Formats: sequence, C-alpha cells, structure tokens
Amino acid sequence: MDLSAVGLTVRFGALAALNRVDLEVAAGERRAVIGPNGAGKTTLLNVIAGEHRPTEGSVRLGGRDATPLPPWRRARLGLGRTFQRSTLFSQLTVADNIALAVRARNRSGWRFWPGSEDGLNQEVSRRLEAGGIEHLARRPAGRLGHGERRILEVELALAASPSALLLDEPMAGLSGDERQKTLERLRSLPKEVTVVIVEHDIDAVFALAERITVLDHGVKIADGTPTEVRANARVQEVYLGGL
Amino acid sequence: MTLGRAASARYAAFLGTLAIGLATIPLWAPRFWIYIATQALIFAIFAMSLDLLLGYAGLPSLGHAAFFGVGAYACALLALRQVDGLFPLLLVGAVAAAIVAVPIGALSLRTTGIYFLMLTLAFGQMLWGLAVNWVSLTRGTDGLIGIPRPTLVGLDAFEISLYERGAFFILCLIVAIVTFALLQMLARSPFGKTLEGIRENERRMRALGFPTVRYRFAAFVTAAAVAGIAGALAAMSNGYATPDLLYWTVSGLALVAVVVGGARSLIGPVLGAFVVLFAQLGLSTYLERWELILGAIFIAFVLFVPGGLVGLVRRA
Repeated sequence: MDLSAVGLTVRFGALAALNRVDLEVAAGERRAVIGPNGAGKTTLLNVIAGEHRPTEGSVRLGGRDATPLPPWRRARLGLGRTFQRSTLFSQLTVADNIALAVRARNRSGWRFWPGSEDGLNQEVSRRLEAGGIEHLARRPAGRLGHGERRILEVELALAASPSALLLDEPMAGLSGDERQKTLERLRSLPKEVTVVIVEHDIDAVFALAERITVLDHGVKIADGTPTEVRANARVQEVYLGGL
Repeated sequence: MTLGRAASARYAAFLGTLAIGLATIPLWAPRFWIYIATQALIFAIFAMSLDLLLGYAGLPSLGHAAFFGVGAYACALLALRQVDGLFPLLLVGAVAAAIVAVPIGALSLRTTGIYFLMLTLAFGQMLWGLAVNWVSLTRGTDGLIGIPRPTLVGLDAFEISLYERGAFFILCLIVAIVTFALLQMLARSPFGKTLEGIRENERRMRALGFPTVRYRFAAFVTAAAVAGIAGALAAMSNGYATPDLLYWTVSGLALVAVVVGGARSLIGPVLGAFVVLFAQLGLSTYLERWELILGAIFIAFVLFVPGGLVGLVRRA
C-alpha cells in the first residue's frame, strides 16, 4: 500500500513539531526517516497512524484520504505500526499477545462464545516461530527483557499482516546480535510491504532503506536515495556529521 | 487466565460444591436466613455484572446501581399492570436497563479511569433524582409497592409458588448460575479476550485495528442488562421498588463485593456479595455506622489482598 502526506503541519502551542512536511512513499518501498532528536519523526508517524490530527495537511493511504480516520480504521486499511516505547499487553503471555494481533486481522473479536480456534492457534505458532520467539511463548510480556520486548513489539505489528508498516526506532537498546536479527527479519518482509522506519542506527538505515527522508526541527531538509542523502551538505551538517 | 488441568478440575469441584451447598439452604435454614441468602444471591448477580465491567473491561463504574434500579422499576411497572410471567418480567428488566445504558455508555465511554467513575456516578445520581421526582410514574420516595410475584406456568399444578421463600430462593439460585455460566462463556470468548486486550493496552489495540470504544460499549450495555435482571428479581423479592435501589451507595457496595471477592473471576464477586450482605446484617445489629467497618475491610483488601478472597484461595 502506498502512503503519502501532503503539507503536514502539527503545532503544539507555539512550537511547530512538523512544518509543511510532504512525504510520498510508493507501495513496497523501504523508506527511512532520520534526523536529530526532536526533529518530528515520531510526530510524523503518529500523524500517519492517526494518533494525532494534523493542524494542517492531509494523509492518504492506498490512494484514499485517511485524514479524518481514527487509528483503528487506518489499521484496517492495512497500516501497522510499532511504538518507540514498547506498547505490549504486559499481563498476557507472548503467545496471547500475538493472538490478539492475528485476531485483529481476522476481525474475530465479535464472537461471544468460546470454542475451538485451531486456525488461530496454528497461525500464532507459525508467527512465533517466524519471529524466533517460540521459546518465550508462555512468558508474560511484562517479564521479558528489554531486547525481547523490542522484538515482540515488531512481531506484534507483523502478526497483523500489514501492507504498510511504520517502525519507530525498532533497534533502540538492542544488542549487536539482536540488531542483526531484527535487520534480517525486516529485510525478509514480503516485497509488497511498504516500510517507513524511524531509526538512529545509521548502519541499519543504510542497509534497509531505498530512500531516506531527513527531518530537522519539523522541516524536511532532504529526501533521496542513500547516496544522495549521504552527499547532502545540509544533512552532514545537522545530523550525519562526518559519516 | 488459563488454569492447569488439575486446577480447573479443583475449580469445577469447588463450583459444584458451592452450588449444591446453596441449593440445600431451603431444607435446613430458618426462614429469615433463607430471605437473607436470597438477597445475597440477587446482589451476587448484580456484582457479577459489575465484574464484567471492572474486572474484564477495566471500567470502574460508580453508577451501576442505576441499571439495577431501572430493571426493578421496569419489572414493577409491568407486574403492577397485571403482566404475569417470569420470563417477560426478567426480560423487561434487562431490556429497560440496556436501553438506558445506551446513551449513558455512549457519553461516559468517551473517558476512562477516574473520569469514567465520576461520569457514571453523575448519571446514576441523575436517574436516582428522576426516580424521586417523576412521581406520576414512580410515586417518588414512596416507591411502587405491592408488586406481585409471577406464577410459574406448569409448576403451580404441583403447588410450587414463588411466594414460598424456598422456591423463590431456588429461582434466584438458578438465575445466578445461568448468569455465571453465560458471563464465564463471554469472558473466555474471543470477545472477552479482546476486552482483556483493551484493558491491558487500549492504544495498541487501536493500532492493531480494534474499534475499542465499540467493544467497551458492548460490555457496558451487556453488564447493564444483567444488572437489570438482578433488579427485576429484587423487585419481585421485596415486593416494592424505591429510589434507594438506584442510590450510588448500592453501586459502592457492589464495588466492595467485587474487590473483596476478587475481580476478574466472576465467582469472587459472588463470595464478596455474601460477605457484604452478612457484614451489613451482622454489624448493623450492633453498630449504627457499620459502613465504617465495611470500609475498613475494603481498604484492607485493596492494600493487602489484591486478588480478593479468590486470590487467597488460589494461593493456598
């Protein structure tokens, strides 16, 4: 699913967290959004996901105007996301966490009686295995280590089979080994899945992204292929600093 | 919550023993105690409906008694118009409470937590005010009196009448067991699991594509309908319906029953309902301010026994 934002402005009082930002991401594209802290990256994801209403501008998902839609409607159009701070079901087991994501896609929440859910359970096992977290299946999410939580954060979004995925710093705080695994997991996503990733791990960004958008103080200062962005003097000055 | 096989067998044995134990009450208990146990069962049905809200949906309501009262008045108004029949009278209690819950839920569910608590309290007190002031319908503070109990088609041939305490007690027990079974089923259904997810992390549920407010709304209206059934039974049991039934302290007592018994278990609120009623009865004989003692018990449970009575049993 392609997604686009036109003229997005988000003002919190006098502060413009985003200032007339345009973003055009083609279906199946891998896009990174980078920039220093406070550049407006998370705000941009929140506006695309529907958690913030933009002060001005519009969001389109799969060619459809999504600006007035609440987050759950955007999710049903095929948009998935992860959060910068892990947002899990901490009292539920890892398997039950994944089950909720699968249920979201099946829309099977409106059944009022219990009963066999073999299909669901099989898919949950498959998903746990694909994510390499089957050994954690019965552990409550609240008792996972930091790295395991970050990995579940991504797996939860993947389990809903999104056609466009917003990732908010999925690598933050991961060990080298965990980073490598997460990177491989993201690279192995089906080609048609659109990915927008906000990430400070520049190696991961350059390994994954086909195009990079650079924000600074809520303004888009560059947009192009990794080579172009790396060569951009302005980007070197505000963010990449000598890379 | 998932239980191991041994634990669920023990749980089933416990439920069976409890049901059979309660069913024998009319055989041996003095008349007064049958009456008290009947009140406790009705209160238990009410408390179970609140557990659906508080325990499963994570919605702390202080206005739940409004639906109890609406169910009682609806049943009373119909019974006083010579409508006879157990099912119509229980059904009208459920439907009336559910209808009233629609606008209240639609407005209150824009909020959660303490704001939800305050809004439900306000709506509950508004309905109490309505019951006091809409004299042409409710007869104000005098209430509706002389509510007849329905005759049981078929069973009257055996001379079983709901005017007998034992028979009425058994009716309440059956309604309580059916309510328990249905709510248990609901809690374990995909709908119940979805509610659980919303309670745990609403933001994530929305991001996954669940219309969370609709789910909470469905839980709210369902809980109101069950409270309405309890209210209808209360009207039949007492023979009258007064505004007291809607007063916020009734909601408060139900919250105490849920927390003391153990939220998110359904059986906990049943035990809690008995504790609260017996505490009320036992303490009010000796103390004018018996609520103080009940309040102290409540605080002790919140602080030291977070899982309630059920949690104590589980740990043992």
